[in-house]
Amino acid sequence: MVRLIITRLSTSIVSLIILITLVFFMVHATPGGPAYSILGVKATAKAIAAMNLKLGLAVPLPRQYAVWWWHLLQGRLGYSYQVNQPVALLIRVYMLNTLALYLSAIVLGTILSIIVGLIQGVYYDRLAGRIIGGLQLIFYALPSFFVGTILILIFAVQFRWFPTGGISDLRIENPGIFVYISHLTLPVLTVAIVSIAGLSRYFGQTVREELTKEYVRTAAAKGVAFPRILFGHVLRNALRPLVTILGLSFPYIFAGSIVVESVFSYPGLGWLLWQSALGQDYPVISAIVLLIGVLTILGNLLADIVNGLLDPRERFD
Amino acid sequence: MSAILKLDDVSVALRRGKARAMPILDHLSLEVSAGKMLALVGESGSGKTIATLATMRLLPRGAKITGRIMLGETDLLTLDEPAMRRVRGRDIGMIFQNPLSALNPTTRIGAQINEAYRTHTGHSDRAARARTLELLGEVGIPDPAARFDDYPHQFSGGMRQRVMIAMALACSPKLLIADEPTTGLDPLVAKQILALLTRLRRTHNMGVLFITHDLSVVEEYADDVHVLYAGRTVEAGTAADFFAAPRHPYSQALLGAIPRLGQARLLSIPGTLPDPEQRPSGCRFAPRCAWAEPACAESYPAPQSLGGTTAACRLIAHIPPFVASTNVAAGQGRQSHAAGTLLEVENLTVRYARTNTSLISSLFGTAPKFTALDNVSFTLGKGECLGIVGESGSGKSTLGRAILQMVGYDGRIILDGEDFTALRGAALRRLRMSVQVVFQDPRESLNPRLRIGDSVAEPLKFMGKSSAARRQAAAGLLERVGLSARLLDVYPHTISGGQAQRVAIARALAAEPRMIVLDEPTSSLDVSTQAMLLNLLKDLAKERGLSYILISHDLAAVSYMADRIAVLNGGKCLEIGPSVALLANPSHDYTKKLVDASPQLRPSTGSLQISQSIQSRQAS
Ligand code: SF4
Repeated sequence: MVRLIITRLSTSIVSLIILITLVFFMVHATPGGPAYSILGVKATAKAIAAMNLKLGLAVPLPRQYAVWWWHLLQGRLGYSYQVNQPVALLIRVYMLNTLALYLSAIVLGTILSIIVGLIQGVYYDRLAGRIIGGLQLIFYALPSFFVGTILILIFAVQFRWFPTGGISDLRIENPGIFVYISHLTLPVLTVAIVSIAGLSRYFGQTVREELTKEYVRTAAAKGVAFPRILFGHVLRNALRPLVTILGLSFPYIFAGSIVVESVFSYPGLGWLLWQSALGQDYPVISAIVLLIGVLTILGNLLADIVNGLLDPRERFD
Repeated sequence: MSAILKLDDVSVALRRGKARAMPILDHLSLEVSAGKMLALVGESGSGKTIATLATMRLLPRGAKITGRIMLGETDLLTLDEPAMRRVRGRDIGMIFQNPLSALNPTTRIGAQINEAYRTHTGHSDRAARARTLELLGEVGIPDPAARFDDYPHQFSGGMRQRVMIAMALACSPKLLIADEPTTGLDPLVAKQILALLTRLRRTHNMGVLFITHDLSVVEEYADDVHVLYAGRTVEAGTAADFFAAPRHPYSQALLGAIPRLGQARLLSIPGTLPDPEQRPSGCRFAPRCAWAEPACAESYPAPQSLGGTTAACRLIAHIPPFVASTNVAAGQGRQSHAAGTLLEVENLTVRYARTNTSLISSLFGTAPKFTALDNVSFTLGKGECLGIVGESGSGKSTLGRAILQMVGYDGRIILDGEDFTALRGAALRRLRMSVQVVFQDPRESLNPRLRIGDSVAEPLKFMGKSSAARRQAAAGLLERVGLSARLLDVYPHTISGGQAQRVAIARALAAEPRMIVLDEPTSSLDVSTQAMLLNLLKDLAKERGLSYILISHDLAAVSYMADRIAVLNGGKCLEIGPSVALLANPSHDYTKKLVDASPQLRPSTGSLQISQSIQSRQAS
């Protein structure tokens, strides 16, 4: 197990170094360079040169690269052009919101997907399985802004159970936990519903495949009853691929966050990324891209480790 | 002698999708007695596995079983599911062909055996643990307490099968159903498993229903033999009577298809097994039987007893029994290849990095390595077949890969005077083309997305032939390996394993190679299909002056094909020499053990000679 972690960790570190380098060059490849974005298209050459000097862009590229690393290691991500706040501070606030939203959505979505997938995998050729399969296709085709809007219409506008919008106005004061939860419910449900369609379908397929495996027949030949076969043998084996998929789906979830967060005007990373992209706020954009990359790598690392715990074959030589 | 299991006129029909139920097994009656072993023999599609699943009532939904399956005084077909569950594992234990997939990969073996015991006894975990340790000891797992918490993948194939057996024995069942438990195991290991099963059934007075496709496996161990063909019994009797004089043409053909030392030619059964939808109404073997008469096709022949066994054949009285005779001399005429050397292998050494090493250590080359092949040297003559035998892990497959230039190696491999390591670019590609390969699993080595014709013609592309010429050549090659040109446009999943292997051979031939590496080419095939393929390979070698390296754990098949045999163990070449001499007088202890584990090779049983009459009939 230790060896597995060391192996995966070393791979993750290499990916990280590559990622950080890529982001560095991405910023430098912007048309006209960052100074242009700050000063606007009408800026004079002199003003740009001055700005470049101020931003540390006048020194040779290798040196900039070294400085970039040096700052990163100290956690200095620069200043936002738009709001003139340290990027690190901005990110911290918005990231916490996003994590609260997505972690609860993923937990909820995964639990529901496992339940739905188990039913579907066992009864794939019965009515229940067919109905689930049909619903999955419908939900899979629904875009998240649509699901979000429908939820708002039903639960916020019609029944008035939950607020329509985000908690952006609440973020300075300290909102009570219930207020927080009530603001979180609809966005979480939206993300969960949208991810359940794909995840449960995938998990249902895995369960169905696992049920045809020979070890299932062996357990039946021992006289083990079906529920025990399902929960004692099949579930664990079927979870492994699901964990991998979850790890891989991190970036997609963040991509989707731009839409969901703007529907609910929820102050998360996606929303921030969107705003920064509109304002060509490169320090913020590169910090977010970097963060998403880091989270993706961490997600995969975590998935590998969980899989190592689930599957002994991963753990040994 | 009391019958433990009695199948009485059992028929099974399976439903595939919405279609009408298809009869798979018809009118099967058999008896397994306490302490005895009954071998239920048949090739794929014979219905033998269906018979065991029917006994366990583990058939897929929608299956229809009729008849009676008596376990002692109970008819299993009358039990409801909970009652049946109490029978499974407690009264009947079952083991399967591939213990790696039959065991749950993510559960410790101790827990899996515990489960078998606790399901039926309700005992505590601790009591179950004591029982499990006792069982592991009984099936010969060294140091059971230390292995209790291991996972299936940490055991070797043979040890895994022992774990399966321990699990099946947990509740001391009266009957053990063993579904091809030795298929795929190395012969030495298979022999140990068979010996273990024999000891266990004697000490526990347990009946064993042993399913196999290979008669040679059970020759020494079975008390009774029951042969199935296309869902019906063709012959049944005591093992002694059956092996002394098998009567039914199918039984004879099945025995004749088993390679034996010094056999001039294997008997292959023409044609293929009929689909369940299209089984002949009369004798089901009639379309492939050398003795068939028009009357055979009219009604199913009534079983007749003669000379100890009962066979369902109209002409039983007229068919000469199998003639047993030792025929070692016949093989000694071969190996007169004075045509010169094709391949020279000098001091071949292959080292692999261990898997799962960390990125850092593989980057810096500090990963630990192990030696798969250690300083192996030999030559291969033009038109010669060299057999490479050894167990899994002996390095025999690595040897094949090195010759194919698929792994890095130290030493030299020289083909017709040209050293692989000295060549680059086009010259190297040309040289590599002249060594082709046929792998064990034909379906995996064929691209599922390519039509068969395109697969076969692929090597021709590199030779710059036009597409029309390629297609024509592919058709010719298919025909040469005994397949119809109609297969050109179908995809691999629609053809049988035997056909797929022929396609793989045709593809290898397309490159006009000078030699072919055959890596376990017939291990996944039925006996009669294997016979056809081995005969085909032999003919091709003669016709085209091809040389073969035949890698196999099946000593019998190697002895039939090879002019010389090299024995590998632990990456070293123990001995190499002419097949007949080497097998008759093995100089190395290890070789002796291998020969001992192959019943077909022992002179005491004699090499059965197929009755000349079948062959001459087939020829006409
Ligand atoms: S001789 Fe006739 S009855 Fe006997 S096996 Fe051949 S075809 Fe069947």
